[in-house]
Amino acid sequence: MREELYVSGRHLAHIDPHLEIWGAPIAIYLFIGGLAAGLILFANLFYLRGKADEFAMTVKVSTLITPIIIVIGLMLLIYDLHHKLYFWQLFLHFRITSPMSWGAWTLSVIMIPAIFWPLMYLDDIIEYLKERNPKCKITGVLIWANNIAKKIKILQFLLDLARKNQKMMAYISIVLATILGVYTGILLSAFNARPLWNSAILGPLFLTSGISTAAALLMWLTNNPKERKLYSKIDLLLISVELFLIIHMFMGMVAGTQTQYDTAMMFLGGSYTVVFWIGVVALGLVFPAFLEILELNHLKVPTWLPALLVLVGGLIFRFIMVYAGQASSYNLF
Amino acid sequence: MERSKKYMNPYLAGMLIGVFMIAAYYFSGEGLGASGALKSVVVATTDIVAHDYATEHSYFSARVSDPENPPIKTWLVFEVLGVLVGAIISAAFAGRIKLETIKSPHITNKTRLIAAGIGGLLFGIGSQLGRGCTSGMVMSGMGVLSLSGFIGLMAIFGGGYVLAYFFRKLWI
Repeated sequence: MREELYVSGRHLAHIDPHLEIWGAPIAIYLFIGGLAAGLILFANLFYLRGKADEFAMTVKVSTLITPIIIVIGLMLLIYDLHHKLYFWQLFLHFRITSPMSWGAWTLSVIMIPAIFWPLMYLDDIIEYLKERNPKCKITGVLIWANNIAKKIKILQFLLDLARKNQKMMAYISIVLATILGVYTGILLSAFNARPLWNSAILGPLFLTSGISTAAALLMWLTNNPKERKLYSKIDLLLISVELFLIIHMFMGMVAGTQTQYDTAMMFLGGSYTVVFWIGVVALGLVFPAFLEILELNHLKVPTWLPALLVLVGGLIFRFIMVYAGQASSYNLF
Repeated sequence: MERSKKYMNPYLAGMLIGVFMIAAYYFSGEGLGASGALKSVVVATTDIVAHDYATEHSYFSARVSDPENPPIKTWLVFEVLGVLVGAIISAAFAGRIKLETIKSPHITNKTRLIAAGIGGLLFGIGSQLGRGCTSGMVMSGMGVLSLSGFIGLMAIFGGGYVLAYFFRKLWI
């Protein structure tokens, strides 16, 4: 028999000394949440600015991706639950002080415009795909879905209703998407016992990162040179903001309490240093930004390259924040 | 003329590699390499997927035994990442970044990729038996006047010249 004596402190399984409850599904979900928020934000923003036809990929085609990835994200969340069959209970309660409650409700409300939006543009999307990418295999599925949708009268009635109120829908979607993007960070920062997460900067940081990954994806998908160039510029701006927020976060921590200082040291010499500064900052932010600058200066750089780097960098960032946050605690050192 | 604009003079490039080799020895204490980076990635992955297996087998255990120095945290891994980044930047300036399969016009892409895959596997096995690849053993080895570097040079390039005849159809 192995006997151990605990002089002080707690010993709860999976909570002390390190939190061990969240793994890859949560990290991927946070990435997907940010990406979806960014895609919705761009689609509605450019719709309101009257660019629906000019930036067809952003306003019309890319909105097909949003509901699909949100569903994948929600499935990951259910997979992570201990009592999977009780997931619906989150939708019967609303607690104003719980970010998780805000997130669950925002996600379920945003699903409505996220599904209606591509349905409204289904004809245009099919046209776009036929014209730009005749070999695309999804077109057949979309035509089939469109034919079915046309036969359901109640759906057509609802779509007409949505078309009449599209502007209002866009404004509401923008607000909801911002909440969704911020929530992916606030969800973590509400853990006051995990010093890495317990920082107000996490909300804006995750929002910026999410919008930046969405800009990268749109830059990759579109074949309109004007749209691509615009996203290149937007992404450059967002990357700079993200770098500023990251530096600011560490500055705040280094100048903070001993616990915060120790947490910052996990990234400034500790075990997360290399993977964070090389994987996220160098390869996921600085290098793609450099490539985008080269591209804007008319050097031939394939668009998928910086876009892929930004997307992978964003994903690694979520993984590091989830794992390092759980490892950080008040009794670390 | 077009070609000389797009590619660097090979003799100049070779000399530059030599200069960087000196810099690598000066700053990191290790030479240049490529297969070592891949080996570190394999060891690190094995350590995560099957930790017990990795600690028991001598090929892996030497690199996974020290928790302070995880296998992925090696100079070569970052050197290879730097090589990728540098290659992309220099290709961007030369205006020739694109995905393409370079091969003989008489074979299909599939043949080329399968042949390259088999060749890569054999080279990977060979580099582990010889404890280093063209960069790690031959270049870095010869840089410090190690006998194995010179033998490796003769074996790799000699073997290549001898066997190239049989695989010429992949290229001409």
